[in-house]
Amino acid sequence: MISHAVLVTGLLLLLIGIWGMLTQRDILRIIVGFALMGTGSHIVIVAVGYVANGTAPIIDGALTVTEAAERAVDPVPSALAVTAIVIGLAVTAVMLAFAIRLHAAKKTLSIDAFADSKW
Amino acid sequence: MTDLVGSVIVFIGAVFLFSAGLGMFRMPDALTRIHAGTKATTLGNTLVLVGIAIYEPDWSLKLLVIVYFVLMTNPISSHALAHAAYTLRGRLGASLFLADDAEREHGRGR
Amino acid sequence: MRRAAIVGLLLALGVIFATVALNYRERTSLPPLAEAYVEMVPRELGALNVITGILLAYRAFDTLGEVAVLFMVAAGIGLLLGAGSKAGNAAELQREEPEPSTEIVRNGADIMVPLIALFAIYIVLHGHLGPGGGFQGGAVIASCVLLVLIAKPDYRVKLTQLSVMESLAGVSIVLVGIAGLVFAGGFLDSRVLPAGNFGSLVSAGAIPILSILLGTKVGCELSVIIERFRA
Repeated sequence: MISHAVLVTGLLLLLIGIWGMLTQRDILRIIVGFALMGTGSHIVIVAVGYVANGTAPIIDGALTVTEAAERAVDPVPSALAVTAIVIGLAVTAVMLAFAIRLHAAKKTLSIDAFADSKW
Repeated sequence: MTDLVGSVIVFIGAVFLFSAGLGMFRMPDALTRIHAGTKATTLGNTLVLVGIAIYEPDWSLKLLVIVYFVLMTNPISSHALAHAAYTLRGRLGASLFLADDAEREHGRGR
Repeated sequence: MRRAAIVGLLLALGVIFATVALNYRERTSLPPLAEAYVEMVPRELGALNVITGILLAYRAFDTLGEVAVLFMVAAGIGLLLGAGSKAGNAAELQREEPEPSTEIVRNGADIMVPLIALFAIYIVLHGHLGPGGGFQGGAVIASCVLLVLIAKPDYRVKLTQLSVMESLAGVSIVLVGIAGLVFAGGFLDSRVLPAGNFGSLVSAGAIPILSILLGTKVGCELSVIIERFRA
């Protein structure tokens, strides 16, 4: 039940991010759409690894060593999500650096000024 | 009983957070958007954490520390944003001021 | 025409996502690989946090690749926004007097900066005992540097020293890996150091060493990136 809600939230965020990247004209809004898409996909990855009535795969007061194999949530998607979040941050930083250079070149932040071929 | 009270308080906090988002979307100007964002999100965060503390009383000390950090950092960060928006208002487009207290007290808008 | 294509694409994606969401059933037991990891990490490595055990011991080579990606990103941003580029020179010419910060921000930063730095070091050191690790602690250190930059606008982050420290941390990670190759099972094997008492701070082999090196490297990198974005 919980993982259904989290999965639907993640997929909705993905859709909103893709919509934002395709329809907005301002470069900074396109970058925000990309960040939303990244966040949505991270949520989807972690939500798929949920085990029913499970708890976090960290051995402390809530989860002892002997029952770890039955009650722990899948740790592999969480490890992948840690990597993905760091890479998403790095790509967003490079995109923002490009936006600064584009603004320095043409003094505007709308991508219509950079479109060489129209559709 | 505590489950019901805690869940109702978390729901009220969620309503405040939604109104913060709605306010940031509908307000016309940078300063009014910052006003809507900071007041409602601080209260929404605090209510959600208080609701969780009622739902699970074992965690109340840790949640109190988190509420303290939220109350310390959220107003300071939005003050920094509003100060930047006020200082740059010439470059970002003028907004309407009825009374400019900062200019009267400190001179050139500090 | 373009509008119709965008709406069509979003509808198609919506249908695919709806199919995924409707056919999703929660699993009731772990897949075999995850079960093996959850059972092997406390027994062989002595770490309580299974995710850190996976990231820094069993899949440590992927973490090394991610460190390489972060280094490439820092170099790329240094190329795009550095002092030799057109944007950098234009910014140097018109850099005016930075606006001093207000009293509220300065007093708040006086209280929060030590607390944030302490919390970041705690996250890095306790990576194998609870949620945390190198990447998370490095990001919190960078946010602490950002707070100092906001509170004192005439503070210049020392770029050369941070770059040297970051490169030394990267080289040390590879040296720890080679030590694992020589003294233990394979590259970046964490059993070069003894596994220690289960649950104490000095335990789980070379995982705390790798956490500290990773935290230093990521913190320096993100601070250099933040400094390059100024003006």
